[in-house]
Amino acid sequence: MKAAQSATFAAVVVLLCGAAHGQPPDWTGRYTELRGKSLGDLKQVNPNLGDVITAHLQPWARAKMEATDGVADDTGAICEPDGFFRYPVNGQGPGSFLWLPAADKIVLIYAQINTAGVRRIYLNRKHPDHLLPTWNGDSIGHWEGGTLVVDTIGFNDKSWLHPAMQPHTEETHLIERFRLLPDAGGNVIEMAATVEDRQALTSAYTFTRYFRKSGESLPENICNDDIEIWKDFKNKALNRHLQSAREVLP
Amino acid sequence: MRGRAALLSIVAAAIPCALAQGPPASTTTPNFAGVYRAIASDTTLPGGLKNQGSPAALALRPSAAQEMKSADLKQDPAKMCAPVGPFRMMAWKRNKIELVPADGMIVMVFEDLSHGVMRTIYLNRRHPEKFEANWMGDSVGRWDGNTLVIDTVGFNDKTWLNDAGAPHSDALHLVERMRPVLDGKYLEYKVTAEDPKNLTKPATYTRYYEKLKTEIQENVCEDQE
Repeated sequence: MKAAQSATFAAVVVLLCGAAHGQPPDWTGRYTELRGKSLGDLKQVNPNLGDVITAHLQPWARAKMEATDGVADDTGAICEPDGFFRYPVNGQGPGSFLWLPAADKIVLIYAQINTAGVRRIYLNRKHPDHLLPTWNGDSIGHWEGGTLVVDTIGFNDKSWLHPAMQPHTEETHLIERFRLLPDAGGNVIEMAATVEDRQALTSAYTFTRYFRKSGESLPENICNDDIEIWKDFKNKALNRHLQSAREVLP
Repeated sequence: MRGRAALLSIVAAAIPCALAQGPPASTTTPNFAGVYRAIASDTTLPGGLKNQGSPAALALRPSAAQEMKSADLKQDPAKMCAPVGPFRMMAWKRNKIELVPADGMIVMVFEDLSHGVMRTIYLNRRHPEKFEANWMGDSVGRWDGNTLVIDTVGFNDKTWLNDAGAPHSDALHLVERMRPVLDGKYLEYKVTAEDPKNLTKPATYTRYYEKLKTEIQENVCEDQE
């Protein structure tokens, strides 16, 4: 059997086995985003995501984006949470996540653990009636064949949709569809996402990204590893806030 | 004929399917999967099980004792939303963890993500010969009956052993033993820390963790500042 055929067969086996045994497919492992040449023949939907999001912003949201201070308002830059919209697909470098199936959920741990954090995609419940807004919202999922469909609401409005700092509101609704590509050696996950926000966007936008299995677990990645650099960043952000406050005082 | 071919295809797919499931799970190793929270220090469980020892009680070498005495507590990693290291974290009041077993590893995720972060306990390899020291070290595990024995080395020296600023060196070596007790409703956690550069004898403590049915919540250190 040729290598390509073998890989395809292996991928089909993985996809079929879960369904045959009534178990979700096991995609355990670390996945790293494919960019540039590593994409090969894979085509991303909306690779220029920053421009796409900006084009979808309502006027107030665009004004807020333009007024945003990249130093003072970027919580991720000072190692504080900034949600997962900017990771792993929108960061400066390719992002990674660890995919861990558990009995009642999928645990997704982002490599940028201090800023993007951890998500738990619950497979056996609905969204709670009363949700306290959080950085990463509340995620529930269900399997449609070999595709995991994830629905997330309950975001706070402190994070940004993209490094260009497009804002969103607590109305944000994210739908992601994850599937293992059968013709990519059985180790590439496709994520197709749709983002809705009636308060901040004129209409929904979509994008697709690809992640290749790249290891077992995540290497340690502590954002404020160098406390002195971290303090310096925090002081700069604080000073920028103080400066802004002085400018508006009579 | 076409139906027979289809049947053969299904059978052909089923054979590797059965193989892909792998061997049946061992019946001797417990399934630790779940969310656990450290019991309150004044709790005594059935059978007289209760927390023992503390990171506060350490046999420090004079140089380490002097370093602790002069430690600036304002520089405590805990106050800067930085990792505090496993030895201190596992004794942390009401610490909550999630254990996620996976192929060849057990991942421990802390609810207090900033201070605890996550640990990967590899079950299928030894410590690497070359390892760059980090906050959580390198953890490998093996089963001793129903007890998971975790061996961790490779720490940097940025964390403290306790709230008072007791230092440790990059020679810190942790051996942790975890086993289910009381019909799996609790987890017994015992740790021994060795650091010949800073401790005159190993430090040990025991904590019990209650298995919860509740979910881990988002817990952001910075939101609480």
